[in-house]
Amino acid sequence: MCKYSHEGKIKCLLPLILLFFIVFLALSNSLQAQNTTKAQVTDTSKVQHKDTTKAQLADTSNDTLKHQLPDSLIYKKIIFTTEEFIRGERLFYGLVYLGDQLVNCAACHNTTVSDTLNWNPDALEISIKYLNKSAYDLSKVLLRPIGKTMKLVHKEFKLTAEDIVLIKAYMNKFETIGLKQSKPVITNLLLLIIAFILFLVATTDLIIKKIFKNRRITWAVITVTGVFITWILAVNAIAFGRSKGYAPAQPIKFSHAVHAGQNKTDCNYCHYTAKISKTAGIPPGSICLNCHFLVRNGTRSGTAEIAKVLGAIDQNKPVQWVRIYRLPDFVFFSHEQHVSAGGINCEACHGNVKEMNRLYQVPDLSMGWCIDCHKARKVNLSNEYYKTYYPDFVSSFKAGKIDSVMIASIGGKDCGKCHY
Amino acid sequence: MKKYWKDIESLKSKKEVRSTEKKPEENELFALLSDPGKILPASRRDFLKLCGFSIGAAALAACQSKVSKAVPYVIAPVELTPGVALYYASSYINGNDYCSILVKTRDGRPIKIEGNPDSGVTRGGTSARVQASVLDLYDGGRLHGPMKDGIPSQWELIDNEIIEKLNKITEEKGTIVLLTPTIYSPSTEAVISGFLKKFNGSEWVEYDAISYSAMLEANKISFGKQVIPDYRFDKADLVVSVGADFLGTWLSPIEYTKQFSSRRDPEHDMNWLIQLESNLSLTGSNADKRIQIKPSQETAILLNIYKDILRSVENRNANAPESPVDVNEISKKLLASKGKSLLISGSNSKQIQLLVNEINRLLGNIGETILFNSYLRTHKALDTSFKTLVKKMQKGAVNALLVWNVNPAYTYFDRDAFTEGLKKVELTVSLSGSPDETNSSVKYLCPDSHYLECWNDAEPKKGLFSLMQPAINQIYDTRQMADSLLKWTGSTTTFHDFMYGYWVENLMKLEPASHNPITFFDSVLQKGIFEPGTSKTEIIEKHLTPGILPFNSTSIKISKGPTEKTLEIVFYETVALGEGRQANNPWLQELPDPVTRICWDNYVSISPAMAKEYDLKDCDVLKLGETEIPVHIQPGQAYGTIGIALGYGRLKCGKVGDRVGVDVWRMLSAEEGNIKNTGKLEKIEKTGKVYPFAQTQTHHSMEGRAFVREAELKEFRANPAAGNEEHAYNLEHNKSLYKERTYPHHHWGMAIDLSKCTGCGNCVIACQAENNVPVVGKEEVHRVHEMHWLRIDRYFTGEEDNPEVVFQPVLCQHCQNAPCENVCPVAATNHSSEGLNQMIYNRCFGTRYCNNNCPYKVRRFNWFNYSAAGTLTGNLRDKEEMTGDLRRMVLNPDVTIRAQGVIEKCSFCVQRIQAAKLKAKYENRALYDNEIQTACSQSCPANAIVFGDMNDKNSELNRLITSGRRYNLLEELYTMPSVNYLTKIKNKIV
Repeated sequence: MCKYSHEGKIKCLLPLILLFFIVFLALSNSLQAQNTTKAQVTDTSKVQHKDTTKAQLADTSNDTLKHQLPDSLIYKKIIFTTEEFIRGERLFYGLVYLGDQLVNCAACHNTTVSDTLNWNPDALEISIKYLNKSAYDLSKVLLRPIGKTMKLVHKEFKLTAEDIVLIKAYMNKFETIGLKQSKPVITNLLLLIIAFILFLVATTDLIIKKIFKNRRITWAVITVTGVFITWILAVNAIAFGRSKGYAPAQPIKFSHAVHAGQNKTDCNYCHYTAKISKTAGIPPGSICLNCHFLVRNGTRSGTAEIAKVLGAIDQNKPVQWVRIYRLPDFVFFSHEQHVSAGGINCEACHGNVKEMNRLYQVPDLSMGWCIDCHKARKVNLSNEYYKTYYPDFVSSFKAGKIDSVMIASIGGKDCGKCHY
Repeated sequence: MKKYWKDIESLKSKKEVRSTEKKPEENELFALLSDPGKILPASRRDFLKLCGFSIGAAALAACQSKVSKAVPYVIAPVELTPGVALYYASSYINGNDYCSILVKTRDGRPIKIEGNPDSGVTRGGTSARVQASVLDLYDGGRLHGPMKDGIPSQWELIDNEIIEKLNKITEEKGTIVLLTPTIYSPSTEAVISGFLKKFNGSEWVEYDAISYSAMLEANKISFGKQVIPDYRFDKADLVVSVGADFLGTWLSPIEYTKQFSSRRDPEHDMNWLIQLESNLSLTGSNADKRIQIKPSQETAILLNIYKDILRSVENRNANAPESPVDVNEISKKLLASKGKSLLISGSNSKQIQLLVNEINRLLGNIGETILFNSYLRTHKALDTSFKTLVKKMQKGAVNALLVWNVNPAYTYFDRDAFTEGLKKVELTVSLSGSPDETNSSVKYLCPDSHYLECWNDAEPKKGLFSLMQPAINQIYDTRQMADSLLKWTGSTTTFHDFMYGYWVENLMKLEPASHNPITFFDSVLQKGIFEPGTSKTEIIEKHLTPGILPFNSTSIKISKGPTEKTLEIVFYETVALGEGRQANNPWLQELPDPVTRICWDNYVSISPAMAKEYDLKDCDVLKLGETEIPVHIQPGQAYGTIGIALGYGRLKCGKVGDRVGVDVWRMLSAEEGNIKNTGKLEKIEKTGKVYPFAQTQTHHSMEGRAFVREAELKEFRANPAAGNEEHAYNLEHNKSLYKERTYPHHHWGMAIDLSKCTGCGNCVIACQAENNVPVVGKEEVHRVHEMHWLRIDRYFTGEEDNPEVVFQPVLCQHCQNAPCENVCPVAATNHSSEGLNQMIYNRCFGTRYCNNNCPYKVRRFNWFNYSAAGTLTGNLRDKEEMTGDLRRMVLNPDVTIRAQGVIEKCSFCVQRIQAAKLKAKYENRALYDNEIQTACSQSCPANAIVFGDMNDKNSELNRLITSGRRYNLLEELYTMPSVNYLTKIKNKIV
């Protein structure tokens, strides 16, 4: 027989339900966290559109505003090349240098389904509204806004007719594919607070109030929330200082995708010290000049960005890049060791840089990540050095007793190889 | 078994006494938490406050990661690769000190000095002073630019004023005097002669604070050459030194240590060293026989030796007073090794030096061990010329005085006369780069650059040239002395161009093969040295006719020995500080004196017998005339003498060195024009005060266990394992419960030859520079918190009044059964697959269990934030300002800066091992023998330290560790160290 009243049972169940809810949220949250990191890796544009860096250098070539008549041919363009499409996209995300003005449509007009209120029409809404209208109508709103807020925000936009046509062409995409779905985000912090409150309530009840007669449930709540709190603290503590996926805005919109990908420049051309020094080195301005002495225009926003490099050299002021890959001071890593002696590709650690418009940190640079690789990489036993000092390995390799020797077997797990 | 003792208390008591008074007091431990300035016992509240703060700070620090910038060059310099070290061959010139060096620069900053192995003078050796000189470059106390009347000015304005005044003085037939230390740079000498020519009636006076002028005068008489000869300790089977500390400070110690230690190899022929001295000097500590004498007895002793030798060589008799010590044995030995012996004296008395010269001539040493072809040029100054200058100045006969790099207002015994004279000089200009006592009362300051910022050349020995080149741009608005002189003579060329011209004109012809001046100069610059035709030396030596004036022993005056009660003082320079030029260098100040193990101070050394007589204890403060100075009881100090170090007590050298120790230069005096390094004292007065020393002697006691093993040469010849019998016993009986570890691939190890090690302290500073070892200051050393990774232990053996001394460098022994590793709760110290005992700072959280369990006491704990590393601020203890932006430029980027609360220790310079291995792999080859050099082994002037792979059967290291002399420290503990010691073999005279 049940000792407790029906009412009491419901009272007992309440915290349990809450607990299940938390666990469910936590799981979905962690799953989603994984998804988002994946998304970051694959979709660099998502990273890019956060960019609100103000273009600083003046460019005189682009500020003449040509007012086209509404029936001008330009507005009737229907077929666009890929290049033009990309330019439209970049205009929409504010990635095109437009003199001293800042045009970033995506800053206000969402491209994803938002979980917060955004009074501005999102990209889909605009695209539907203007789907059957002419680009000229769009230009009216952009260049001669009527509404109070719009007047303020769209103030002094100086877009050419071509630009507006391209923006519209890009926006039409949303009508077909819709907005990207973004899952509701409950931050770990919120969960932690709920769990902590629950933990406190349960503990207080256990000791002082004693409302819940069933001690087992109270204990269960304490245990589960306790474990959860510890787990979340531990996970976050371990992640302190790690910056996987870190993709800061750089002072120059340098695209590795253009340089290393499309133009197939060898990594070692610019990072010429990677083979001979501890550090791979950020290329000095003089290296940029090797090509950009002649190449002064880019297909997209290149011209303005190249001008920044040239300006830096003219003024003898180095470009202050934001450092992405950074190890703590107590870790010694040598590029020479890995690239020259180890023969490791750049991609092994830095990922597919050739496809990154904006560079981001691929590995988390944790010690586990280093060691995993040391355990899995084979040593090149044909090197005279190994032949001299590791004859036992070399002979058993030749005799076919072992098929490979891993870095870890030759001391690759020694602390003193990296920490000194 | 011999009994070894480290101080007098431990000799007297059976058990080695740990000095209790030197332990930090209990309250002091709590004081660690509170403000370091005022030591107050902290309460529990403070502790909680601190906890709360640190948690809060940690949380805040973790919330936001700093955005760091990566800033490349705009235009990359061709020769510079970021992250790769560049070496420049150069020369170290600081007054009379010379060393041919390689400067290691990283990303444009000089960070380490190595010896230049190609040099015929220093042969790759350095001294502690040379190693520490790189820190002087980053001394914020250096003069920042030209000044007039103490107000910063501009070069152009000052130049114009000085030129105008110099011209005016010359027109009015006034006297311009240029006062410098001995200059042995040929180009600078040429600049100066140009200056003298331009300003008619100007004079050049050379002045050396530590004077060798009696020797110069005596050599002029004996050999017709007013030079210091080229002493060849490597050719001498027997060295008899009367008060000359040639391994520590006398003339050219790096060169002499190289030569001397090359003859301390018991497997080959070993030399003898007999030292007669009052203070226990570094050389005396290494002597095979040491005889204690008073300075006043030197003449009598030398005369007796002279008498003996004259009788047997020329069969003549000479008068000699009764000798205070028995010299028969010395005379016999000297006669037995005629032409292969060397007698030297550290005295600055002309008659003693004449006597020494005559004895050497009789023994046929001239042309054998005393050569004149490549004579030493680093000491040329005569005391009389400076004395004449001071007199002239007092009379007001000097119109302009240009001082460079000498500091007579501090180092001259009659400094009042000098400063008084200085006031009467119209135009006073100082060209010294650092503030000092002299240039504080000078009108114009035209600061010289640091030697690492300068072009220069040197001819330290006749015919042996070397170049100095800048390794960094001028840090401050300074200009090198020769450039200033050139400017004032109206020349428009820079000194570099002048020097280049000089070399092409005068020196290129010495190398007949070279025709292109640019390639000639560049090839010399690359090597750093130019030594044409050094092999010719010996042939010409034979033709030198000695004895221009016939020597007459009767002319020698024997001063009546002072009464028994009179104390004789011997003034000496310490190995670290010398005459005090580098007093503002915290590395040197913290280097313990090799013999007394005291740092950050000077003191009166007094013999134990005398201390008993006067009822003195260590640290009692005495009154000598007007100066108060603490006492240190020094076994081996001759009875009736006291020793005091010069070079301390500076007042205007900078924040680090000001008021460290006591200034005793005033107590010197002159005799026959030469400054004597001895003095007399009628009585000792006690003040009743006590002054604590920062002494590293009793801190690292090994509790009386025998670990320095020695044997006499005879015994060694009979049995290579003589004195080392324990080793075989231990090898046989030691067993471990643990499975024996093997290191089949690399097994790094070291051998330290105690026969060669002189204990000079070069390795300590080399290690400090290489491994970013922090400076802790006097107070912290006193609290047993010194941080040196490598220390040199000094043990006495034998009688308290006349002990023998052994030195033993002790660093982390890299034990295979390491006691420290077992007790670390977080495995922050463990063993690598190559036999290294690794220390991982980021894992360490400071339990200090390892430190407690280490039998060698080589682990160091960061009690405070000495280096400003780590994220938490506060608790910084940096009295010597080593954490300023400028000083930090000396740090080696390849070695982690340790934060507060972690243990650190010797790593066998693992950064160098890694670099060499990488190079070998890259070049697809095996390592060369001796390719990997630790900081200590590389620059050892005695070649006492050898590093290598113990598995490499063909290596030099293997040859040493398979010899019978090899043993390990405390091998009965079966820790199986990778550091091996070789027994000390002494060549005793029977």
